[in-house]
Order: sequence, then C-alpha cells, then structure tokens
Amino acid sequence: MSSPAILGLPSPRDEAWRWSDLSALPALAEASPTGGVIDTSGFWLNLGGPRLLFVDGRLDAGLSDPGPITCGATGVASAHALARLATGDGWALRLGADHAAAGPVEIVHVATGGASHLPALIELADDAQASVVETFVGDGWANRLLSIRLGRSARLMRSARLLQASGFVSLRDEAELAEGASLIATVLGAGGQGTRIDAAVTLAAPGAFAEYGGALLARDDQRHDAAVAVRHAAPNGTSRQLWRAVADDRAAASIAARVEVARDAQKTDGEQSLRGLLLRRTATINLKPELEIFADDVKCAHGATVGELDARALFYLESRGLPPAQAKALLTRAFVADALGRIGEEAVREAFAADAEAWLEATL
Amino acid sequence: MLTISNLHAETAGKAILKGLSLTINAGEIHAIMGPNGAGKSTLGYTLAGRPGYEVTDGSVTFLGEDLLEKAPHERAAAGLFLGFQYPVEIPGVSNVQFLRTALNAQRRLRGQAELSGGEFLKVARAQADALGLNMDMLKRPVNVGFSGGEKKRNEMVQMGIIDPRLAILDETDSGLDIDALRTVGDGINRIMRAPDKAVLLITHYQRLLDYVKPDFVHVLADGRIVRSGGAELALELEREGYAETVREQAA
Repeated sequence: MSSPAILGLPSPRDEAWRWSDLSALPALAEASPTGGVIDTSGFWLNLGGPRLLFVDGRLDAGLSDPGPITCGATGVASAHALARLATGDGWALRLGADHAAAGPVEIVHVATGGASHLPALIELADDAQASVVETFVGDGWANRLLSIRLGRSARLMRSARLLQASGFVSLRDEAELAEGASLIATVLGAGGQGTRIDAAVTLAAPGAFAEYGGALLARDDQRHDAAVAVRHAAPNGTSRQLWRAVADDRAAASIAARVEVARDAQKTDGEQSLRGLLLRRTATINLKPELEIFADDVKCAHGATVGELDARALFYLESRGLPPAQAKALLTRAFVADALGRIGEEAVREAFAADAEAWLEATL
Repeated sequence: MLTISNLHAETAGKAILKGLSLTINAGEIHAIMGPNGAGKSTLGYTLAGRPGYEVTDGSVTFLGEDLLEKAPHERAAAGLFLGFQYPVEIPGVSNVQFLRTALNAQRRLRGQAELSGGEFLKVARAQADALGLNMDMLKRPVNVGFSGGEKKRNEMVQMGIIDPRLAILDETDSGLDIDALRTVGDGINRIMRAPDKAVLLITHYQRLLDYVKPDFVHVLADGRIVRSGGAELALELEREGYAETVREQAA
C-alpha cells in the first residue's frame, strides 16, 4: 500500500510544489510496467552520434550504441523530493579535456506503465563539449536525476522533449559550472503526461553562462510545472531563463524561475522572460519570477506576462485568407518559437519545432 | 460586382451604418469620403467580417453570392481584400511565411493548386520591387519595426500577391509622404485597374485621388451615402469642406 506519506511526496502546501499535481504518482509507483512494445523508430533523429534506449529505466543494449557513455552505478544522488528516488544504475557521459562526443547524444526513454527512477551524470572536463537530446515517450512515471558538472570553458547543450502519451515525467537537473563554462538547456513539454521540471544551476566560477528554458504546452486536465533556480555565485556570469507556456481547456502550466546573485557575483547579467498564452479562459497559467540579489553591480532584467491571442492579429490574418484554426496556429507557433530557438543543432531544433507544431495541430 | 442594400451595422451596441446602399461594377473605382465618425472604417470592417461589427439589417452581394454569411477568410478567398488603416504588427511571423500561407489557403479554398516556395518567392519579389519594398523586409516579421509608410506599402505588396477582385482600401493614404503616396497610387492602378476588378477607396483627403482617379465619389455622413458624383465632387469637397456639403444635402 502506497500513499504520498509513504513515498514522502511533497504536498501542495509546500510553496515550491503548490502548482504541482503529484496525485497520480503513488499509483504509478505501485504499478508494474506492462512491458509492451512501443515503436520508437519515429523518435530517433539519427544525428550520427551515440544513442541509448531505456525501456522502463533499463538499457536496451541491442538497440543502443552508447559510444563514450557508460551504464551502471553513477555515484549521483540528490536530496530532492522526487530525484532522491533515482538511485541505482543509470548512465554517465564523462569527457576528458578538449574532448567532444561524436555528434549529439540521443537518449530515448520509453515507459510502459509503472515507474522508473534513473540517475545520470554528465561530466565535461575543461574545454570539452557535448550535446545531449533526451526524448520521453510511452506511459507511466519517468523520474530522472541529472547531475551536470562542467569544467573550465566546457560547453553542454541539453535538450529534452517530453512526449509521453500519458503518465508523468519528472526531471531534476543539478548543474555546476566552472569558469567560462556554458550550459544551454531547453525543455519542451508537448505530450499528454503531467510534468515537473526542477533545476538548480550554479555558476560557481567567473564568466559562466547558463540558459535554462523551454516551452510547456498543456491541454485537457494536464499540469505542467517548472521550477528553475539559477545561482550566480561568482562574478561576470550570464544567465537566461526564457519560458513560454501555453494552456488550453482546463490545463495549468506553471513556471517559477529564480535568480540568485551572491554578494561576490558582481557584473552578473541575468535575464528572465516568462510569458503565458491562454487559449481558453478555463485554463490556468502561473508565472513566478523571483530575484534575490546580494551584489550591488548587477543587471537583472525580468518580465512576466500572461495573455490571450491578439484578436486584431487574428482578424488581420483571417482577412488575408487564413482559416481561424490556421491563424491561431500561426500566432501560437510564433509565441512558442522563441523558446526553442536556442537549440544549437538545426535538426534538433526542427524536430522540437515539429513536435510543438503537432501539438498545436491536435489542439487548435 | 458588389451590391450593398440598406446596410445597417453596429459596433459596441452603437448603430454606425444606417441604411447604406452602394453598387460597384467591375472595372470601376469608387471613393468614399466623409468626416470622422461617419462610418467609413466601419463599412470596411463590416464588409470584411471583423468580429464585433454586427449587421442588423440589409444585404451585401459580392460576385453573386451573399457576402455576409461568409467567414472573413472565405470572403478573402472569394476575392475581397481589405487594406487596413492600421496594419497589425505580428512578432515572430515573417511576411513571407504569412503571405504564402494566406495565398495557399485561399487557393485551396478555390480548388486551385498551391504555390511552391520558389513560385511564391518569385511573385513576392516582383510585387516588392514594384512597390519599392526591400525583399529583406518581406523576410522580417509582419510589420514589426516598419514605419507608417512601409506598413502601407506592405499592404499594397500583399494586395499584389493576393491579386483580389475587389480591394477596399481604408485610408491607405494616411501617413504617407508625397513620394510614398505616388508609389502606392501607382500600385493601386497597376494591380487593380482592370476590367474584371474594382476598388473602393476610403479616404479623408482628395490627394490620393490625384493618383488614383475615381469613377465615382460618394460622401458618407451619419451612416448613409448622402451625395454621389464624379471625380469633380472630391475637388468640391476639398474646396468647400464636408460640413457645407453635408448641410446642403440635409437642407
């Protein structure tokens, strides 16, 4: 028998979880995967790099080509309320100084029901660089912990798309950036699952660059929820948090984005842009930008707005011949596009844009 | 081509058009002039089907079909084009993407083959060149960062690409300097002066009519056409003012 208390799940009374709906998780944690076969052929981008397929959290070695990635104990652990469950075997990408993975790493996570908890580590030594694309499909609860350690001037592009038909995906990223390191993380929630995205990014040394953002598209009774904290612990750091949330029907999309600037982190350049688009008035969008600044010479811009599609723009498009659904889709796509534009590889960016497009076509 | 009979329309609960009748035949250029608040823009919006503009009486036939029962995009596909007084800025959507989507949506509705990207760009480039709009501007988001004159020129480029049967141009001359006015006027003549097309110019001032010579000029006051005449009526209005003309008519 399982309950939130037994699992130790946070409740909505906890400020950091007030917009989350974790009520489906106890049952999923108890359930067993059906082990059904899900065709993943459409989810590989075939970028020529290493590829890993995890089914219910277990590596399918036959369909994987891990390259430099090792699977097994990672040594990664977290005290985070959900990520603490991600113990045991996982995957790790460790690159030595000046190394780069041969092409973007593709990881597809298939869930067939039940729950899987998987830890992972990306550790890039000085000047190393990598790009990792994760895709979540199927049903069930995929719970992930990713620890990111970037050496001096290391560069990581991390992209995740949450495309499960149902169930829940929870991500917890914990990143630490050394001097001049760069992390660009983009998350797209465009499936039918509930979502919780948690990230804690620390710019631990001068001149680091961190970008964490994405697009959350919610419909029906879905809840998408992101809580990202970027901490500037050293001077001359730059951070960007650009999120776009779209909600239809009775869905709720929520984004809490936090920037912390420590006393020593002078010349910090932080920017937050949180924007929500309500496709129906029964939907909900919550935006919570937070700034906590202890240094005195910093630039932190932030904006948070929620609105509906511009009626004047819709009529303008329709008067030129666009049917209403197409006009809405065009405006909504433009709204979302900013958030996906930071993905470096064109093939990945286009795949994410196509997923967003498919969501819009199914919704509008 | 267009027959408006006893049209009554209201917006925000206020009656604006109060029994307007007007017939436009193919090959004709009509100008509607009138003081502020007479209902000029309401006429354009009502004909194009803007939400919030409600027809309470009367009828409009366009090319033999009931215009008022069509949705805005169907009116466009039927051949109606509204040039906006205040073209809307649409961040994140490029002109090229917008216009190609629009043109192909119209063609689909008419049962015509869609244009490929290459075919479309050729048409777009020709229209942009003719109106002195840099092709780079067509690749930028719709009207974002455009000056008033550039927005109006962009409306004409759109008209050239869409190639409508009837263009209703709502104060297309406002915000234009004298050179831009000539360019836009030339554009209207080039695109729309044809035996199977027609134009309804909605304007405050006579000056656009120097470049686009109307066959008929109408004075709109308090939701009705109170006077009609030839091109010379516009000159008279310019000379005498609306107040005089409207009063004469009421008397």
